[in-house]
Amino acid sequence: MADTTPLLEVRNLTVEFRTEHGIARAVDNISFDVGFGEALGVVGESGCGKSVTALAILGLIPSPPGRIAAGSIKLNGRELVGLPESKLRKIRGSEISMIFQEPMTALNPVFTVGNQMSDVLRRHKGLSRKQAREDAAELLRLVGIPDPKQRLREYPHELSGGMRQRVMIAMAVSCSPKLLIADEPTTALDVTTQAQVLEEINLLREKLGTAVLFITHDLGVIAELCDRAIVMYCGMIVEEAPIEPLYDRPRHPYTEGLLASIPRIRDRKLKRLPTIAGMVPDLLQLPDGCRFADRCEKATGRCQLEIPTLEGARKRKVACFHPVNG
Amino acid sequence: MEVLRFAIKKLIGGIPLLLGVTFISFLLMVYYGPDKTYELLGKNPTTEQIAEIRHELGYDKPFLVRYGDYLKEIVTLDFGYSDSTGERVNRILKRTIPISMAMVTPGFVLGNLIGVILALTAAHFRGRWMDKLIMGGSVVGMSISLLIVVIAFQIIFSSSYGLDLFPVRGWEVYNVTSYIQYVTVPTLVFIFVSLGYNTRFYRAVIVEEMERDHVRTARAFGTPPAKLLYKNILKNSMIPIITRIMFSIPLVIISGSLVIETYFGIPGVGKVTYDAITTGDQPILKAVVGLTAILFVLTLMATDIMYKMVDPRVSLK
Repeated sequence: MADTTPLLEVRNLTVEFRTEHGIARAVDNISFDVGFGEALGVVGESGCGKSVTALAILGLIPSPPGRIAAGSIKLNGRELVGLPESKLRKIRGSEISMIFQEPMTALNPVFTVGNQMSDVLRRHKGLSRKQAREDAAELLRLVGIPDPKQRLREYPHELSGGMRQRVMIAMAVSCSPKLLIADEPTTALDVTTQAQVLEEINLLREKLGTAVLFITHDLGVIAELCDRAIVMYCGMIVEEAPIEPLYDRPRHPYTEGLLASIPRIRDRKLKRLPTIAGMVPDLLQLPDGCRFADRCEKATGRCQLEIPTLEGARKRKVACFHPVNG
Repeated sequence: MEVLRFAIKKLIGGIPLLLGVTFISFLLMVYYGPDKTYELLGKNPTTEQIAEIRHELGYDKPFLVRYGDYLKEIVTLDFGYSDSTGERVNRILKRTIPISMAMVTPGFVLGNLIGVILALTAAHFRGRWMDKLIMGGSVVGMSISLLIVVIAFQIIFSSSYGLDLFPVRGWEVYNVTSYIQYVTVPTLVFIFVSLGYNTRFYRAVIVEEMERDHVRTARAFGTPPAKLLYKNILKNSMIPIITRIMFSIPLVIISGSLVIETYFGIPGVGKVTYDAITTGDQPILKAVVGLTAILFVLTLMATDIMYKMVDPRVSLK
């Protein structure tokens, strides 16, 4: 796979939102690739720009107030930024599809599951009503929903959260997308259901060869599912690495802090779970230098003045003047 | 079957409401209402004459008996004869209600329809000049008094100072052309007056719906805008929209047309009610109040059934 063109190529993407107090740069000059069939994790805390990145790929940034201020997003070599809405609509749900965080509210409450699923199938694949329904039932079976014919006739409120998320997944893979964006798909589910849903995504990925962009704040989930991950902080990518080295030897102090604050069974009993001190800076009043500097133990005068760029070998990059585990 | 059982249950549940409404209105309008004794007597009546008239009018019966009589009138839908004209109340209503309906329906339907369309447009262009224009316009519409609108429209459309296209007042309707002649200006007034409120209300409902997760999901699956509007936004906003429309029906039929009918000299039920209030014509008042309460109960029931039709999450149990 090395050195071939990636499936998704994001270059220097910058997304801005106009607010009452000025322009907030939610995503600031980020670049990354997703290869064919690859699973890339995007980690970061709330508000770091993960979801905005996902919405930008689909061209769904609410505008106004938001806009893609700069950069390029290429799917299979085709530029998506600036593509007219009508062309983007053909891509959404067919070439790129997305699973959302809240299965409770993400489906239309007043139409049946079957209606919503066949809608997508008929639109993108041009199927007949009958054929679309049969395909929808088949898809539900594929994601492990028992008695799919009956489920198709039900409304979203008649299904459990995990069931609804499976319906979302079935809908998302219904047109065999090349890229599946999963935005915190398991956050709203309880732990056992979480595991099942992750398993489902993993299976489908193997079966269909779909690339997955997995957005989450949960590093554990990434470890299970992804080949590679990027860590975002305050709209910027601070580290990019394959999963194992990222966990074994994180290079950015922020990643290290994140990993240290995962609750786990440890050899010695801890008094307190380690946390990263301080707060995420306000997007409207960003520091001049490294955005993590104020919370970083290793920060020096240089960190306060200059923004470190993402550097390193092709698959192992870090944006830090004083990387750890070096 | 579920619907039928629900309807019966609702109707039974509406009985206390009917009793409450009729009790209060009976107390205020009839028991403590105008006393007609002295209107019917000559000068210097004797005590016996007074007592006789009071007996004829039924004023000497105990309170509960009089209220019971009123309830009986409502149940049998027989309200006796008008005090002022001696005409049967039922005949008056039969004559005037269709006129009111014919007068108010076009304005009511168009006022809501245009309201929804303007609201959708404003919501679609949220925050841009189109939105600001529509919302600014509706504030202006809301701020102008109905009386000013009536007079202004009469001058503009019906007088020699203006277009002079339609009759100023009256209701001599015998075919479609004459209907349009007499209904146009009241309809325009009605639309003008209700449009501001409707548009603002519907826009708020629609904007809220547009921000829901399922709308974003639909967009992420490539749903085209027209379908998004119908399947996701409009269908999901139907509950507040239905509520507003249905609940204004009883009010619109009686009080909404009251002012317009008076100013345009239209002999509808609003005009009759207005006259009955000013002359103290109790049989008519009792009929109108009783029927409005019944209409309310029926509307409530119909509204709940309509909820069920638009939203599968609503249970009729």
